[in-house]
Amino acid sequence: MNYSLDFSWISSGLGLLWHGLAVTLVIALCANAIGVVAGFVIGMLTQSKSRLARLPVSAFIEFFRCTPALVQVVWFFYCVPIIFNVFLSPFAMGILAISLNLTAFNAEAYRAGIQSVPRDQHDAGVALGFSPFQRTTLIVLPHAFRMALPVLVTNGISAMQQTSLLSVVAIQELMYRGKEVASDTYRPLEVFTTVGVLYLVVSVVVAHALRVIERKRSFNYSAA
Amino acid sequence: MEQVMKVSRLVRHDAGARPAGWQEGRSPAQLNPQAGTQPLISIKGLSKQYGPKVQVLKALDLDMRCDDRLVVIGPSGGGKSTLLRVLMGLETIDGGTVQFNGNPYLSFDEKTQRTRMDLTIRKQIGMVFQNYTLFAHLDVLRNLTLAPCKVKGEPRAAAERRATSLLDRFGLSSKARAYPAQLSGGQKQRVAIARALMLDPQLMLFDEVTSALDPELVAEVETVILELASQGMPMVMVTHDMWFARKVASRMVFCADGVVIESGTPDEMFKNPKHTRTREFLNNVLHVS
Repeated sequence: MNYSLDFSWISSGLGLLWHGLAVTLVIALCANAIGVVAGFVIGMLTQSKSRLARLPVSAFIEFFRCTPALVQVVWFFYCVPIIFNVFLSPFAMGILAISLNLTAFNAEAYRAGIQSVPRDQHDAGVALGFSPFQRTTLIVLPHAFRMALPVLVTNGISAMQQTSLLSVVAIQELMYRGKEVASDTYRPLEVFTTVGVLYLVVSVVVAHALRVIERKRSFNYSAA
Repeated sequence: MEQVMKVSRLVRHDAGARPAGWQEGRSPAQLNPQAGTQPLISIKGLSKQYGPKVQVLKALDLDMRCDDRLVVIGPSGGGKSTLLRVLMGLETIDGGTVQFNGNPYLSFDEKTQRTRMDLTIRKQIGMVFQNYTLFAHLDVLRNLTLAPCKVKGEPRAAAERRATSLLDRFGLSSKARAYPAQLSGGQKQRVAIARALMLDPQLMLFDEVTSALDPELVAEVETVILELASQGMPMVMVTHDMWFARKVASRMVFCADGVVIESGTPDEMFKNPKHTRTREFLNNVLHVS
């Protein structure tokens, strides 16, 4: 290989890359905020006794789990405005696409968490006179959330990485900015290596931080 | 529905008129002048089946007085735990009625094929389960105060005061800030009993509460239940521990195949069981123990 690595070129595009990283983080944060809440609602609906409630949420989950995320992003950008006559800013559309995908995966994590709540916890809730809503919010949700947390973290990090797909629809996140800098400097190897390292650092830091929180807040449920 | 609503109001009035409760060691007979004349629980023709084939309760009849400590014994699958779960409102029924303090509590509506339940009455019944069922994400104190605060709207400070005094009484004051996973089985079960008592129930149900415990931890839980019994707390208990059954019961019921086969005082049941099934069961159990 005759190519000599020279990372000094990065400094000229560093501002753009930081900006791209900030956009990536904002999209990832918004998508996770939506995905964590909406995922729980969808997850609860999958446990509904009513088939009418279960059917649409199952279809929603299957659609987002069984089609490529890139196809979903492109479809949202080009088809949603035409079919539903909804026109959002590309940024909002990007958040929506990523968060709906994340919602479907989080719903499955919650479903597993909800199903792991022992039957006798529900019985105890009834015996103590809690209403169905109180049982859900005071007993099922905290338990299901703790059980689902490792998967929610993994899904959240995946969603952060999936924001790179938004570069194909011209959202100026980290990958898009990387492509710009690479085109300007003709140094794709250095630029995309830097981009990769940035994704890696953010993912590792977030995963580690949440693992620490998880360790502090987790309890031995089988012994309860 | 209207009838159920009327009952709810009546019971709410009665409950409201009732003084502070069991911490003061008063029995329903002392609190309710009618206590001696009408049963606390009156079960008529209670039926429950799981699926089309498994009938667990078969038109079961049973009365319990206000000063009764009723122990239900019998072979596994005889319907003992199901009876308690039905009384707690955890299971629907397929026939019969249950009255509580003379008021309709549970009934089966033939027309709609649904169970009708007075939720206000259900709130006057407490239950302790075999597997502790403490909320793992809450410490002991919060386990005790959650229901009084959220269900009865009691201020948290007042609920914590009551909880602390109850924990003290049960020898658990040092564990107030511990999480369930940090407790022994016996401690968990005592916390579970204290949690149920926080709602000041008029009737306690104990479903094999010592079955999951190591033998050396059984005594601490039994001591707590005996203390409640000595204060006249009405209770229905399912247990396989015949020694404890004899010690705590004012009346025993032998239940098998979904019906009450025989009932009587502990002495009658142990010394002179009338029914062959009861005799066989007691022979087997006492021989094993």
